[in-house]
Amino acid sequence: MLYRQIMKELLCFVGLAVITAFTVNFFSPKGIALVGEWDTSKGVITARAKDDVVDHELEIDIIRAREIYLNGKSVFVDARTRELYEEGHIKNAVSLPLYEFDGLFEEFMNKYPDSLTIITYCTGRECEDSHQLAQYLSEMGYSDTKVYVDGYDEWKQGGYPVEE
Amino acid sequence: MFVRWLLGIVFVYASYHKIAEPAQFAKIVYGYDLFPNFSINLIAIILPYLEFYSGMALIMGIFPRSAVFIIDGMLFAFIIALSVNLLRGHEFDCGCTSFGEPGYTSSTTQLLIRDIIMFILGLYVLFFDKPRMGSLTQLTTLVKRRATG
Repeated sequence: MLYRQIMKELLCFVGLAVITAFTVNFFSPKGIALVGEWDTSKGVITARAKDDVVDHELEIDIIRAREIYLNGKSVFVDARTRELYEEGHIKNAVSLPLYEFDGLFEEFMNKYPDSLTIITYCTGRECEDSHQLAQYLSEMGYSDTKVYVDGYDEWKQGGYPVEE
Repeated sequence: MFVRWLLGIVFVYASYHKIAEPAQFAKIVYGYDLFPNFSINLIAIILPYLEFYSGMALIMGIFPRSAVFIIDGMLFAFIIALSVNLLRGHEFDCGCTSFGEPGYTSSTTQLLIRDIIMFILGLYVLFFDKPRMGSLTQLTTLVKRRATG
């Protein structure tokens, strides 16, 4: 008898939670897709929210990034924190920590013309800061931005040029 | 009664951030590396509301036994998830700033201990708490008595 009662109550909770959850998620500007993109082989992972910054079209892998690096006509921009940058970064990369963007971008814009090719990166495919930074920069007028998705960790592991 | 309120408040409070930032919570679920990819967003969408409603129900004294049953059920799942990752030596750190503050806080062990304590408190509420005290039914009964008497 009690068991039946508890089951009914549990059903109430679950039903209420499910209905509210999907409704709010549907209407909220921060709502996420019912299925996200969590497969790192497809690029940077994302919950696919409505305000998602991940754009797979901008992504380049380590091979391509290396080619562009060797061409020497681009600027690599590190989206990670200052501490991580100082511990080690891609050689000649510029530090532009995401959370310091507002304070730093003016200096960056003065130094680097918006005709330059920008390659942003952070730690790897589990970090979307690189995408956020690429979006900010393109909003500021940098029309040629790309996101190097394998990040600093893979670059260093590959034995490619770093500065520490 | 106070234990019931404590648990309820903790869960309502915990649910707030997950409801406000579902993408961030989904990433945390991903970070545990325990759930199939297709289920991650569904968990991130539904779980916070389950927390919110059962927390509120505990505070208001509505269906308290079922509410605490759900809460202890979730805590049990969290405890398993945390223990598995503790045993695997698996700490999720994407080094991102869009993921809360730079530098992820609360260690797995701290969370595990906190959840075990709450689980035990939940058992206390389930078996020893007098659900009538400080509940919505009691309040409405009191109001009715005052009105008629």
